[in-house]
Amino acid sequence: MEDNRADAILVREALEEHGIEGELLVLEDGEKAMDFVQALDGGSGDECPNLVILDLNLPKKSGRDVLRAIRLSEKCGRVPVVILSSSDTQQDKSDAAQLGANQYLRKPLGLEEFIGLGSTFRALLHIRS
Amino acid sequence: MDRSETETQLVSPAAVESETALNRLPNSPASEGELRRRLSELQDFIDRVAVPLQWVAEDGTILWANDAGLRLLGYLREEYVGHNIVEFHVDESVILDILRRLKNNEELRDYESRLRCKDGSIRDVAINSSVYREDGRFIHTRCVTQDVSAQKKASELQDRMTAIVDSSDDAILSKSLSGIIQSWNPGAERIFGYTAEEIIGKHISTLAAPERADEIPDILARISRGERVEHFETRRKTKSGRILAISLTVSPIRDSSGKIVGASKVARDITLQKEASDLKEHLAAIVESSDDAIISKDLNGIIQSWNRGAERLFGYSAEEVIGQHISMLAAPERVDEIPDILARISRGERVDHFETARKTKDGRILNVALTVSPIRDASGAVIGASKVARDITERRRQEQALNKANADLKRSNADLQHFAYSASHDLQEPLRMVCTYSELLKKKFGEKLGPLGEEYIGYAVEGAARMEQLLADLRAYTQVSMAGQEPTEDSDAGEMLNEALANLEVAIRESGAAISRTTLPSVRMYGFQLEQLFQNLISNAIRYRSNDPPRIEIAAQRRGAEWLFSIQDNGIGIRPEYKEQVFGIFQRLHSAAEFPGTGMGLAICQRIVERAGGRIWVESELGRGSTFFFTIPHRED
Repeated sequence: MEDNRADAILVREALEEHGIEGELLVLEDGEKAMDFVQALDGGSGDECPNLVILDLNLPKKSGRDVLRAIRLSEKCGRVPVVILSSSDTQQDKSDAAQLGANQYLRKPLGLEEFIGLGSTFRALLHIRS
Repeated sequence: MDRSETETQLVSPAAVESETALNRLPNSPASEGELRRRLSELQDFIDRVAVPLQWVAEDGTILWANDAGLRLLGYLREEYVGHNIVEFHVDESVILDILRRLKNNEELRDYESRLRCKDGSIRDVAINSSVYREDGRFIHTRCVTQDVSAQKKASELQDRMTAIVDSSDDAILSKSLSGIIQSWNPGAERIFGYTAEEIIGKHISTLAAPERADEIPDILARISRGERVEHFETRRKTKSGRILAISLTVSPIRDSSGKIVGASKVARDITLQKEASDLKEHLAAIVESSDDAIISKDLNGIIQSWNRGAERLFGYSAEEVIGQHISMLAAPERVDEIPDILARISRGERVDHFETARKTKDGRILNVALTVSPIRDASGAVIGASKVARDITERRRQEQALNKANADLKRSNADLQHFAYSASHDLQEPLRMVCTYSELLKKKFGEKLGPLGEEYIGYAVEGAARMEQLLADLRAYTQVSMAGQEPTEDSDAGEMLNEALANLEVAIRESGAAISRTTLPSVRMYGFQLEQLFQNLISNAIRYRSNDPPRIEIAAQRRGAEWLFSIQDNGIGIRPEYKEQVFGIFQRLHSAAEFPGTGMGLAICQRIVERAGGRIWVESELGRGSTFFFTIPHRED
């Protein structure tokens, strides 16, 4: 859930470089993200994502609201969620932790480091929640 | 009069007669008739002469007295002659002494005694007496008695006058018409310091104060004309040179014919009075000339005095307010303050800098600060209040303007800080895009672009990276002052240095830097700022090294009220002419190709040190390393 397409591409690079295959769904604003989360409970439960990469600063609905909605979801409430944000204020980190995010990552400045996030993604994918 | 012996001898008439008779004898005997006539002539003379004469026997019996002797005391002949002389002397011891001396052949002259008159009054007399003897036998005294009452009274009066002059506190002196001092009382000695011996015979101008010398001839001239000079206030000089304030009264002295022969002067030392009244005038002048309103009122609140400052402040003249109640000045909502203030004053309390509002004659409301104190009489009882009212309207206005300016400034500062911080923050994102995508471009399409293309992209990447670093440093710079309040605790500089060195671990290892230090103190600073300070300075020392591995020495010593830190390196040094420039924002002495850096490091250091109340500077020579010094004030707790 990321409004910046450039960062979405970088996330794909990171995933690919770390051999993570699968479908990457990009939702560009908070409203689309909320609709997606709410739609999950209407389904069969197989459609929960394996990993949610969430930016706190989404247009329309906020990332916090989306995170809350994910955790409240009956079917998919235990999905691993990693916050990937351009800021790293104390307030954001503690809110994320409080709302149940598994990890908080700041978008790194350099390409290498961004790609390196892939290892964190892989680790989170193997969490049995 | 002394009781001395007389020299003149009194001779009995008979003796006189027989002598002259004998002298005439050689030729013809005087006739009996002639002798008888001469005898009666002499008898008449003796009986009627105006001087009291008498004969007294050895045992004190009065044998004979002439008419004058009887008249002296007022007795009839039979009341006096034949009685004992002792009866008529007031002091028995005196008359007995007289008789004793006469028996001893002493001759008495001006021997004083007091005689009792018939009417009971006492007369002062002087007795001249000797003894008439025949063949050594005491026949009778030859007494002449002089009435000295008048003289005695005069001399007693004189003594009393002298006593009065001598005992006076004032200086009483007399001078001749030419100004020569002729008499000088003890009061004058006390006031002027000269003894009578020292001053009598000198000119009165000896006492004159220098600027008053002309008065003296003027006073003498008026005296000669018969004028009096009364209560003339002037100044005179004492023996020790001290100047006194004096009130003079000078009158002419006339002799018995009425001619003016001198001047008598009474001088009163009024120095203390004058000082007191000068002081009073001075204080009154101070009150009058004060810019503040100074008002006094009695315990009922009735205005008693009103100075010029009060006239100016409130607009009322003294005539308009004196006698009125103080509440005429109060703004309507403040009227209740007045009884409260008066109550506190009567209890002896002071009211200090009480800020309130009062109303002027033309109805304007003023902000005033009042100080009201009790006025006490000599016994210490409170009899009124004195009030100083200062117009603080202007001050109040200025205070408010200052507060507003301060608040505006604070807000503007805060705005600026926030702006700087968020600007540097917001600029980060686009920069990150440039950075990462330049790298991604190189990675994905590097081969297609060829070496030149790679080089160009390299410059873009470098530029972006530099920009990032600048923004980070700018954020750090604004953050130094954003901390807000003063630190309330000390930080251990040694520990902060350890933190900084830990952050620079890689750079230290790679450069082979050797770092030594003395014991470092605790100082009143935020720990993270002290850490940043050390980190920046040591990072510079490592970065700007010469060919040798960096050797860095960190020291601290106490200098008076501050700690002096020094960080010395053996690096490339700084030209003296750039010593101040290096601390500027974004200032660099080298290109990015020579040495990396943003030019913010030392600017941040300076901001940190100055915020902590110290100073930072560098001593260096090109090629001989640099020593950075900074001071931090030592705070006694």
